[in-house]
Amino acid sequence: MAKTAQEKLDEKREKEYKKKHKKIYKTKPGDIVFNILNYVFFILFTLTCIFPFYYLFINTISDNDLVKRGLINFYPKGLNINNYIALKGVNDLGYAFLVTISRTILATILMVVASAFVGYLVTKQEMWKRSFWYRFLVITMYFNAGLIPWYLNFAMLGLTNKYSAYILPAIVAPYNIILVKTYIESIPAELEESAFIDGASHMTVFRKLIFPLSKPILATIAIFGAVGNWNSFQDSLILMQNNSQLFTLQHRLYIYLNQSSNIGAVMNMGGSAAAAAMEQALNAKVIKYTVSMVSIIPILLVYPFMMRYFEEGIMLGAVKG
Amino acid sequence: MKEEKTEVKGALGNVYIVQRIATLVAVVAMFFPSFNPAKVCDLVNENLSLFTSAISYSSLTSDCARAFRVGWIDESVFILLFVASIIMLLGIILTIAGGCMSVGNNKMQKTGLLFSMGGALLIIVGAVLCIAGYTMAQEAPKLERVKPEFPSAIIIYIVIGAVILLLSAFLYMKLPKPAKDAKFEIESKYKLFLMFMPFAALAFVFCYLPLWGWRYAFFDYQAGGTLSVENFVGFKWFAYLFQNAATRSDIVRVIKNTLAMSALNICTSWLPMMFAIFLCEVKNMRFRRFVQTFTTIPNFISWILVYAIALSIFSTDGFINTFAKEFGLMSEDALGKNYLMGDSFTWVKMWLWGTWKGVGWSAIIYIAGISGIDQQLYEAAEIDGAGRFQRMWNITVPGLLPTFFVLLLMSIANILTNGLDQYLVFMNAQNKNTIEVLDLYVYQIGINGSSIPLSTVVGMFKSVISVVLLFAANGVSKKLRGESII
Repeated sequence: MAKTAQEKLDEKREKEYKKKHKKIYKTKPGDIVFNILNYVFFILFTLTCIFPFYYLFINTISDNDLVKRGLINFYPKGLNINNYIALKGVNDLGYAFLVTISRTILATILMVVASAFVGYLVTKQEMWKRSFWYRFLVITMYFNAGLIPWYLNFAMLGLTNKYSAYILPAIVAPYNIILVKTYIESIPAELEESAFIDGASHMTVFRKLIFPLSKPILATIAIFGAVGNWNSFQDSLILMQNNSQLFTLQHRLYIYLNQSSNIGAVMNMGGSAAAAAMEQALNAKVIKYTVSMVSIIPILLVYPFMMRYFEEGIMLGAVKG
Repeated sequence: MKEEKTEVKGALGNVYIVQRIATLVAVVAMFFPSFNPAKVCDLVNENLSLFTSAISYSSLTSDCARAFRVGWIDESVFILLFVASIIMLLGIILTIAGGCMSVGNNKMQKTGLLFSMGGALLIIVGAVLCIAGYTMAQEAPKLERVKPEFPSAIIIYIVIGAVILLLSAFLYMKLPKPAKDAKFEIESKYKLFLMFMPFAALAFVFCYLPLWGWRYAFFDYQAGGTLSVENFVGFKWFAYLFQNAATRSDIVRVIKNTLAMSALNICTSWLPMMFAIFLCEVKNMRFRRFVQTFTTIPNFISWILVYAIALSIFSTDGFINTFAKEFGLMSEDALGKNYLMGDSFTWVKMWLWGTWKGVGWSAIIYIAGISGIDQQLYEAAEIDGAGRFQRMWNITVPGLLPTFFVLLLMSIANILTNGLDQYLVFMNAQNKNTIEVLDLYVYQIGINGSSIPLSTVVGMFKSVISVVLLFAANGVSKKLRGESII
């Protein structure tokens, strides 16, 4: 292919540029030291973020006897998945899983659809007292009555120890509504107008036009919502005090962790009773690791694929902030 | 779109407003257990609202299994109450429909009024059935167990029903007859509002209604008790907070912990920025991506899991101890120590956990900020002979300062809010005194210690101060940057 004069000129310039900058870009000894230190720091810090998960994991798939003796530090020995299989027998955990998974799915779907719909409604200038209602929602982000009134409110409504206490409060999420509203405002208004001229109703425009077009932002809030629901602990702790079947996975894990630390305290007392306690404590250790692992795994699995959405989410927040 | 103006103006409009308010009261009361007309005797759970009684027979009779078995009361009473509740629920739903239709055109309004009248009638019928249930309960074989009591909510509902019925009938007569070929229509602005209404209701119930719980601060309330004139104590608990020596010293200690931990976080809030700046000095994109991915993961696991990790590393049989044992790094006495116990350096430890969990994530916003800085600035600086650190300090840092400033102001506004989870999970018998932050304290005395009024008072103070701080921070931001942060 013949090169045009312009391209040749460009090439020549580029070469000259590189030549000129070679002097400036020449690596100085200080730079090498800096780079090494920089890399070392980030490698170490990343390790502190990865290693605990890895450590938990290898301890759950190793021979329990070796785990008891504290011999599994860097790599698994005696591979097996018996611990995971054994969890099947723990009834509490089954309920916790069911509750957590179902609430994560249900609350997230409802929250996303509601945020999309409300986000669309508050972009409509003609809505009756629109700016008042929009503020009515936004103010709730900056103010809350406090933990105890929050709890008493649920008690007053008869929602304590009920599954719906997980779902209903999650539906209206002001922050997500703001995000969706901002996003919808960036969609060209002409699209909507032409749909209205064709006689479409608000519902049709929302279903056929706005909802599909705002998928990127909806994916982002869905991911955040799902992680929040999966990690939820406080509502289970405070609202479900008398209904242990509705405890979430995190709450169960919290209970397990505390149980085994009590047994650990018994161990320090010494004596013959301590031997039996020790046996139990170390079994508890494996169980505790396995349950932790089980509740981390979904997040770890989802995470790499969703990283993009997570980052988009924080950037959207920044635009608003 | 051509729409006829349909608003009813003047005196008639005011009648409409009263009718709508009556409907609204009926709807709201339906969700409050204290306004349950079906609570005709002690066997009905006091946490049961009319709504719940109507949708679930098993909740209605949850406390009655024994009563039915041994014949304290006949089950037919409860079936009657259940039917009455369902009728009232249907009535309320009809009045809601009527109320919603009242913002439509003339034809819509006329039909809506019929709905309202029908609904009001159903409410009255249901209430009368509840009275019947009450009379039947009075004839129960074992009165001292059943303890029938006449619920005042029945009267309230009959009054509301009557008001709605009369006003609707009045309006129905006064409104002009719609044209034969008229269609059902609602103005677009009201249609949009009607679609929005359910969500506003949810926000009201779960975000605004809790404020109603502040009234507990003025009563001598015990868990499971009731609020009444007798236990109204005015500002007793507010004074108690300052006068009771033990509580006062608790508060001082808790505030100290709260402020110390918040201050540590605020003083080191530049860390994520530095993290981002240095990470951007790494020119290998793949490595940078790798670091970014893995350092953000801890942000997405719950504090419970962080604690699980802490246990696996630092507890008696955790990694530190087993590792030291395997390689003989520590003397026998030093082994078997639980590093999570003990109250030394609690604030720093908590800060470290928070930083480990959050720094990678908080850095993302700065990384994005850095990529938004004009590259020519760097080139120009380089040609002028600026070194790496000079470029960081004179170009990158100023570029990121606005973001940093906003986040800093937000964290100052949140100085009293550290969250509950982290401190709750890391708390143990030994570090209790140094770890208890305000949120945890409120939880401890309110939920665990069940001194609800006192913890409500503490929570009130916290909420009010937080809002004041937020507005102050916003004011500062407006003054310095001309932009608000909320």
